[in-house]
Amino acid sequence: MSTVITDDQFKHIAHLSRLTIKSEESFIKDQLAQAAEYVEVLKELNTNNVIPTFQVNHKKNILREDVVTPSFTQQQAISQAPKTKNGYIVTTATIKK
Amino acid sequence: MSDLNKLTIKEALTGLKAKKFTAKDLVVDCLSQIKKNAAKLNTFVTICEKEAIAAAETSDLSLPLGGIPFAVKDNFLMEGIRTTASSKVLDDYIAQYSSTFTSRLQAAGAIIIGKTNMDAWAHGSSTETSDYGPTKNPWNVDHLPGGSSGGSAAAVIANECIAAVGSETAGSIRQPASWCGVVGFKPTYGRCSRYGTVAMKSSTDSPGPITKTVDDAALVLSLVSGHDPHDATSINESAWQVPPVLKDLKKIKIGLPLAYFPKEIQPDVQKAILKSTEIFKKLGAEIIELPDVLDPKYSIAVYTILQRSEVSSNLNRFDGIRFGFDRSFFAQEAKRRIMLGTYSLSAGYYDAYYTKAQKVRTLICQDFDHQFSKVDAIIGPTSPCTALKLGASEGQAMFGELQDILLEPSSIAGLPGISIPCGFDSNKLPIGLQIICPQKREDIVYQLAKIFESNTDYHLKRPQL
Repeated sequence: MSTVITDDQFKHIAHLSRLTIKSEESFIKDQLAQAAEYVEVLKELNTNNVIPTFQVNHKKNILREDVVTPSFTQQQAISQAPKTKNGYIVTTATIKK
Repeated sequence: MSDLNKLTIKEALTGLKAKKFTAKDLVVDCLSQIKKNAAKLNTFVTICEKEAIAAAETSDLSLPLGGIPFAVKDNFLMEGIRTTASSKVLDDYIAQYSSTFTSRLQAAGAIIIGKTNMDAWAHGSSTETSDYGPTKNPWNVDHLPGGSSGGSAAAVIANECIAAVGSETAGSIRQPASWCGVVGFKPTYGRCSRYGTVAMKSSTDSPGPITKTVDDAALVLSLVSGHDPHDATSINESAWQVPPVLKDLKKIKIGLPLAYFPKEIQPDVQKAILKSTEIFKKLGAEIIELPDVLDPKYSIAVYTILQRSEVSSNLNRFDGIRFGFDRSFFAQEAKRRIMLGTYSLSAGYYDAYYTKAQKVRTLICQDFDHQFSKVDAIIGPTSPCTALKLGASEGQAMFGELQDILLEPSSIAGLPGISIPCGFDSNKLPIGLQIICPQKREDIVYQLAKIFESNTDYHLKRPQL
């Protein structure tokens, strides 16, 4: 069975991805469906009772020592921000007045 | 003296110690080779001429890499140096800190002469998705260098540097090394720190060397590996040490997976690998056919899901607020990958895609465990074909995945591997042989690669430029 991604789904995925898809890029929708279809091949393998591997060298819960180490100065931290004001990074508003 | 850029690390170190030339001479020769070929090959995104000359003038030749010019893939951060990952999103980004890999390289005396071109964000196997134009293969400029570390591999074979740095997520060191006819050593996942590299697929990202010889790669690995507290997945071991060279391969069992010879394989490639098998046999190794290796097609699917998923998360941080440009600067390849990842991680699809892929990853790891209970190493073609022509990747949503079919299984399992030159096809394009070993067994990878190289001369060939 072929995988279909609807226009609404496509728009939703773009929204979740925070991407603007131009009209001439709408073919990406079909490519997504093709890729989704390709990976269907995994269904051939029985994975009942198989534990997923998220991490190949089996490390977990690595915490650093709770000690203060030198980090960026404020100047360094904001040096690459496109817009700054009074030593702060200017962001877009997330809450409406 | 001139043509110092043609030297290997070992040769350059010997010449420097004997005072036959200076570090500045070496740097100048590399820079002039870069400039000479710039329009033809497009290997570098940024050239660090001023910094390199200054470093050469004060270089400490007592250090293990003292005075050696390196090219670094443009996804390694170096404080004060532009780092773009070949994407316009980071066109003006000046790194605020340095990657562990390049810091260790510089602490060992290496001089970084520039940042090499790559597939944007390392998404690809052609260097054709770079926002700064494709790199051309020095063996034939109508052909691709492979990727994503295509700029680094091309720079090495074009003698634009003494050695280079690449990074691999699933083939991005070994495949361009194969297509350009150089050595690409991908260490065990966690052997070299990922700190300060632009994250792609964090669960398999592995930085490593691309060099002219096996010994050069091993030397670099011995100097940059070892635990790094800044990378939580870094292996808790000290630096890897270069093991002794083997005189023969008696008692060594080498596996030849039949599944790594798909019917689409280029006949010249198949022939070269079988000839390489004979060389190992003559050196005393027992060659064992592996008839039941899991079909690599499953690895393509696992890689596609996991890579897209991790990419959608990792690239989420690029918002154009703290650094770089906004998300409208992402090119098509990144958009496609972010969207597929977002889809596979979204509610209702997570188990069917993401969890299923992680389960199959377990099966891939178990399959390697099973195969390595029979053999010490696995060999095969690095790539099913030699360098394809420019334009081959265009419009193909899964070009990289299909190209890296023989590299994805070992990457997914975090295994160490190497690609070394093992022949040329009828168009005089290089062919690569890969050697894969169990996790943390870079010693066997090195020993097999080294003895093969000592008994062949493919690594000495250079393209006419």
